[in-house]
Amino acid sequence: MRLLQKVRRLSVHRLAFWLILGGVVIVAASFVTRSALLGRDRTWARIAESGVWRVGIDPSFPPFENLDPATGRPAGFDVDLAEAIARRWGVRVEFVGVGFDQLLDAVAAYRVDSAISALPVMPHRTREVRFSDPYIEAGMVLVTPLQSPLVAALEASGRGDPVAGAAVALAGRRLAVEWGSEGDALARRMQSQAPGGLQLVLRDSAESTLGAVVAGEADAAIVDAISLALFNRGGKRLAAVGQPLRSDPYAIIVPVGAPDLLARVNETLIALRADGALEQIKAQWLEAGAP
Amino acid sequence: MANRQGRGTAAGFVLFSLVIVLLLASRSYRHWVEFGPQRQVSTVNPKMGVHTRLTDEVEPWKIQRTLEMVREMGAPWIVEYFLWAAHEPARGVYDWSHADLVVDHAVNQGLTVIARLGYVPEWARPPRSNHLYLDEAGYDDFARFAAAFAEHFRGRVRYVIIWNEPNLSQEWGFRPVDPAGYTAMLRQVYPAVKAANPEMQVLAGALAPTLAPPGSEWGMDDLVYLQRMYDAGAAPYFDILSVHAYGWTFSPDAPASSDAVNFRRVELQRAIMLRNGDAAKHLMITEGGWNDHPRWTKAVRPAQRIEYTVRAYEIARNEWPWVDALCMWAFRYPRPAATYQDYYTFVGVDFQPKPIYEEVQKYAAGVKVGLP
Repeated sequence: MRLLQKVRRLSVHRLAFWLILGGVVIVAASFVTRSALLGRDRTWARIAESGVWRVGIDPSFPPFENLDPATGRPAGFDVDLAEAIARRWGVRVEFVGVGFDQLLDAVAAYRVDSAISALPVMPHRTREVRFSDPYIEAGMVLVTPLQSPLVAALEASGRGDPVAGAAVALAGRRLAVEWGSEGDALARRMQSQAPGGLQLVLRDSAESTLGAVVAGEADAAIVDAISLALFNRGGKRLAAVGQPLRSDPYAIIVPVGAPDLLARVNETLIALRADGALEQIKAQWLEAGAP
Repeated sequence: MANRQGRGTAAGFVLFSLVIVLLLASRSYRHWVEFGPQRQVSTVNPKMGVHTRLTDEVEPWKIQRTLEMVREMGAPWIVEYFLWAAHEPARGVYDWSHADLVVDHAVNQGLTVIARLGYVPEWARPPRSNHLYLDEAGYDDFARFAAAFAEHFRGRVRYVIIWNEPNLSQEWGFRPVDPAGYTAMLRQVYPAVKAANPEMQVLAGALAPTLAPPGSEWGMDDLVYLQRMYDAGAAPYFDILSVHAYGWTFSPDAPASSDAVNFRRVELQRAIMLRNGDAAKHLMITEGGWNDHPRWTKAVRPAQRIEYTVRAYEIARNEWPWVDALCMWAFRYPRPAATYQDYYTFVGVDFQPKPIYEEVQKYAAGVKVGLP
């Protein structure tokens, strides 16, 4: 009651003044608090202080990570990437073996500082962990020989829905896929959308699927970008055409409460890309120019 | 005056409409999906089944679509999990609304439901214990629940599985596994179910295939466990043995062996039944199959998964007259598990059929399946 009486006695101008002042104080206080909280990335502080970056890895997925039979130590694309990043920071990587299905949980629980293990970006897990900018694209791609007359039509078709566009461009053609795979699922969708149909050429592995294109048994194929890169390492020259039919970028995982670490990971990925170091790692394990 | 009366009438009409809308909205959600005409499954193999995952599927249309797709694939059997904790939230207080929805849609699609019962409510177990923890003091409560289930679903459900994988410590409330203890549970549940609904067939076991060594804290070899169930006097307290048959990386034709976990391990379970004079009883495989995750060490290639799955259904039909149903894990998840588990499914979360779904569908229609 007394408060109401006081408010009534205030002139409109004075009331407005106090309201604005109160608002400014609240906004400033929240900004200061937020800045203070964000600045407290204990994970990054510990990495900087100890000089050790603990990275979770499941060494069972070559060429990204495997145990080198000669040394018993992890080796592969992700291992080299982690070490390249660590060198830029002036710290040492300590690899921690974690089962693939537990990697995100291990990061979320701060059992490791990060995970680098051919892990795709999972939008539904972004409340538990943070994903860096992607460092490689591993999604499903449409593949043709370099000189294929289909390339121009497929490049032009990928502007809207890439699956629907490719279906139109490939109408009446032979499309090779690994039986039962995700590429097969996409091809079956395309088959129902292609005017005049689409002939599926089924094979039992990604390698034999691409082999069908080389042998002229199929006009194009759908495989994942990594299988294509590994196939081309063997001296074959097939090309991914247009946008991925389904994107599946791999990223580095960090804890939610490690914004400084995430920022540094992203900064370093940009730097590695800019000076060609990331390209060298791709050339070492996959193929130069892999997406 | 007339104007005021008109406004009053309009306001009354709006209020009345609002009340009607609210009343309709508060009615049971099952009425928002039309059931449609009674359907039948068309298949060349009447033993084909899948384990559905509708326990935590909230939207009725998704329940219906899932079961429609099971029928369209040509599988007449489903296994579904019914949570004791959800259906008896307080002792003696039953809520069958979600279970009714699942069962009625399944029956409407012409499917036979095998109901797996478990998941202990908080009121039936000690504080801070695991939801799979049930000691002997709680068997009577569980028996009453199973009997209430059998009574409620009389004429709609004919098979119940009592518990799941009791030979794994994790499934036994993180206690040391105990075949005699599980047999004691059966001894209490079986007569209660039969008294409530004599037609109900009681499935025991649902044993997890494992090579756990003696004394393992994680579980007990399923073959050892089954024999110990018989030793404890389990035979009179189940009608059908439920088993799980995962193939891991082996072909379904890989021979059974006590030191290997593969699809034909079921034959060793059958041999134990014969040795214990239980030949008249049949088995149901209530989980099984292969996984095609690209990097899980126990997975196979997608093409192998299709071949093995179709072959397994053929084995059940042609070679195992004592197997009534083979239900593969798992038809569809309500949301992505984001683990290798997603690569067991036949249909995506978005109901997009995977190639394995379409190939199994062809098989059920009598079309030869395989690479040219």
